[in-house]
Amino acid sequence: MNITYLKTGEKKDVIIELVKDPDYKGIKKNKYHFNWNGEKSNTVFKLRLLDDKEILGLVSLKEFPTEKRIEISLLASSVDNTGKNKIYEGIAGALIAHACREAIKLFAIDACVSLTPKTKLKKHYIEKYGMKDAGKQVYLDLDCIINFVNKYEI
Amino acid sequence: MKTKAINNTYTLSELADSVVFKNTLSIEEAKEAAEQLAEARKKNRDNFTESQKLYAKVLQLRFLMEDYAKSEVYNDELSFAFFLKQYIKLSYKINKYFANDINLKETELSLILNRHRLPNEKTIVRLELHSSNTIPAISWYRVLEKEKEFQLQANTKFKQKQNRFVKNRLQFD
Repeated sequence: MNITYLKTGEKKDVIIELVKDPDYKGIKKNKYHFNWNGEKSNTVFKLRLLDDKEILGLVSLKEFPTEKRIEISLLASSVDNTGKNKIYEGIAGALIAHACREAIKLFAIDACVSLTPKTKLKKHYIEKYGMKDAGKQVYLDLDCIINFVNKYEI
Repeated sequence: MKTKAINNTYTLSELADSVVFKNTLSIEEAKEAAEQLAEARKKNRDNFTESQKLYAKVLQLRFLMEDYAKSEVYNDELSFAFFLKQYIKLSYKINKYFANDINLKETELSLILNRHRLPNEKTIVRLELHSSNTIPAISWYRVLEKEKEFQLQANTKFKQKQNRFVKNRLQFD
């Protein structure tokens, strides 16, 4: 999986790993937009470059096994990678692709990744990530998940 | 950063590009949202092709193999043979036909599946090719390596047998 260094257009390999307890000390609101301590009951993953320890993005996932679905509870690229001056492109996409990987691993053909968007952002998620509209939630199911897995070369 | 502060700093497109906010629903709203989603998914389900379904199952197997190979835990049941059996079951009812498709003798395949023999590199590469590269040879290889590592570590009889072949051992104070 890779993200793009915007200055040169170079693709950089990334790794996505589980966040462990000691990691939370370095995950501050001023760097990652939100208070991530509240996500400890979920499965939280961090994204970093293969050759650098700095966390570039985080995603908190919640499993709903009876519904065969994974919900993106919270996601953020680092502040340095948000907005027009961001350094890397594709962090959020890579984290969503990882959620797709987890969903396939758990539920195979029934895999589903959903999120409950702020109303104003809903159409942006649909346009940007090809998510489908289910009223209060937007989601990815098998065909979209396969596209994500292939696009991000998981 | 408070939601309001983020909203004032970035455009909506920039936000969607980098952030998913936590959006807590009331019990009633959550119930309604779950029903809407279930209904939408049900409608789509019939549109998935058999090829997409098979691809999803092969991907699932690959991710399970990769996560197991990476984990610190050894589970004797999760052997190369176990994963290979799962792979064959996805599209074959009879092992003989699979053996034929990767040009392996049926007896050889049987020995591998019953853990009497480990596969060679040729077989592993043919598995990659058979899955149209969906499960890379390296993923098969890592599962096999994990099994071999454990066997080497646990085989004290074998280690004892080798003892008499070694002389002039390094000496440390």
